Amino acid sequence: MLTINNVTKHYDKTEALKGVSITIPGGTCYGLVGPNGAGKSTLIKMITSIIRDYEGKIEFNEKRITDKTKQKLGYVPQDIILEEDISAFSNLQLFGRLYNVKGNSLNQRIKEVLALIGLSERSKDKVSAFSGGMKRRLNIGCALMHNPDLIIMDEPTVGIDPQSRKYIFKMIEDLKTAGKTVIYASHYMEEVEKLCDYVAFLDRGEMIENGAISELLQQYAVPSIYVKGSGIPQDKLEQYGTVSQEEGAFILYTEEALAAMEHIISYCRENRLDVERMELVHPRLEDVFFRLTGSNLRD
Amino acid sequence: MNAIMIVELKKHLQDKGLAFWMLILPILFTILFISVFTTGDNEAVNQEIIQSIVPGYIVMFVFFIMISMVQVFIKDRNKGMTARLASTPLKSYYYLLGKWLPFTFIVIIQIVVLFLFGKVVYDVSLGQPIILLILSLFITFTVTAIGLAMALTVNTENMGIAITQIIALGGAMLSGLWMPLEMMPVFMQTIAHFLPQYWAHQSFQDAMAGTTQVPELLQTLGVLFAIGAAAFIIAIIRYPYFLKRAVK
Ligand SMILES: Nc1ncnc2c1ncn2[C@@H]1O[C@H](COP(=O)(O)OP(=O)(O)O)[C@@H](O)[C@H]1O
Ligand SMILES: [Mg+2]
Repeated sequence: MLTINNVTKHYDKTEALKGVSITIPGGTCYGLVGPNGAGKSTLIKMITSIIRDYEGKIEFNEKRITDKTKQKLGYVPQDIILEEDISAFSNLQLFGRLYNVKGNSLNQRIKEVLALIGLSERSKDKVSAFSGGMKRRLNIGCALMHNPDLIIMDEPTVGIDPQSRKYIFKMIEDLKTAGKTVIYASHYMEEVEKLCDYVAFLDRGEMIENGAISELLQQYAVPSIYVKGSGIPQDKLEQYGTVSQEEGAFILYTEEALAAMEHIISYCRENRLDVERMELVHPRLEDVFFRLTGSNLRD
Repeated sequence: MNAIMIVELKKHLQDKGLAFWMLILPILFTILFISVFTTGDNEAVNQEIIQSIVPGYIVMFVFFIMISMVQVFIKDRNKGMTARLASTPLKSYYYLLGKWLPFTFIVIIQIVVLFLFGKVVYDVSLGQPIILLILSLFITFTVTAIGLAMALTVNTENMGIAITQIIALGGAMLSGLWMPLEMMPVFMQTIAHFLPQYWAHQSFQDAMAGTTQVPELLQTLGVLFAIGAAAFIIAIIRYPYFLKRAVK
């Protein structure tokens, strides 16, 4: 379990984090979501003790982060940080050794990680010859060499090809299955929604909401119905909830989506109205963030 | 620490720029200057000139390791590697040692190769090899300590290269590595006594000729060590600032 207790961080002028508290239960995948500049990377650098001068307290399993606790932590930085002039194998070797993985188990582990990140065939090639996606995968592999209990990934899928993205998702699923705790920072909501169990929303240095994703969806996001057809009166739809228009269609937000849909269908049948398309739209994490901040995540 | 050292050695071994600055260029200079200055017929005088030029260019070119040192540290800092390593259990002073020690190996190898080159090609005498080795170890410490202090202090690679040029070329000129000190104005001869290059060059020549006087040797070793230690202290003082900038 990782507890972040009331942490505040100032850079020279900017206040990057303002009294943020989050508790991350063991064995879960926890999303950190927020637009660029929200403070995700800053928080992660504090957890990994790259940044040490801050106010507040961060504890892993009730202990402050020391060299001994670092041994249980794996960090995937937002930028690709590798030794470019040596091979993928040598990079993994370096990070293994830094975490005191030695001898036979080191070689064994390098093989495993290479398979995990799908680079077994290219292990002897220099990293500088790799594609962006391959570097990203190796960037993650370096964090897994010592088989850490807590893996912290800072935007691991930025600027990546679909194949590498699939690999990375598969890896995270495997880590979850193995009972590891994963912290996943991203500004891609749909990734977090797909991968994570919990989420904390950061915006301009503040933690605005956190909790289980399923509960937040229930609490904040209203399902909606997309209706497109001719002659359907807007005030009829407004009986069931709020309505907005979008490119010649209506979007009806309502808690009782299924019931409303039934009513609308029978109304249309009775009045012989032409329905071109009607569908139930599940609420998304994006909608929760929108409800909370009044703004969409912008790139 | 070993982890860092192994990677550094791997990188240095394939670094062609390093081989050029540290070995090829000094050999070219040595050949060139010996051919220019030994045109006279007097064999004894010629050999004397060679005995001065060979160690002179060794002392001058050991300083070029500083360029490589500044490149390694600034690159690590700017790329974020220094910060990333701070998330691992690696102790920060082991990081420093792991980066520094490979440079000392390189400089020692450089000195040995250049002396052997002098021996094989120009038959210079290496009268007191043990003393030559001890001197080499001390000058290596001095040079890499100055390099370390500079690498942890400057903001940009270009600035580091500029400072290296000043120290290596300026020091070489003022220390009489290019022309005998006796031919220079008195005040410049005085300045030379404050430069490590002067002391190293004098003692190298004595040891090659086999005429080392113990007090003079100790004086040289003392000067080299003092300058190196001072630089090392500056490096240690600068290191926390370097780390702070690396984290940004
Ligand atoms: N080294 C730094 N110096 C000054 N300000 C910084 C530094 N790093 C980040 N910031 C500022 O802190 C805020 C949070 O940045 P960051 O943690 O990188 O956000 P995110 O990872 O969510 O995009 C931003 O306003 C950013 O400009
Ligand atoms: Mg970030």
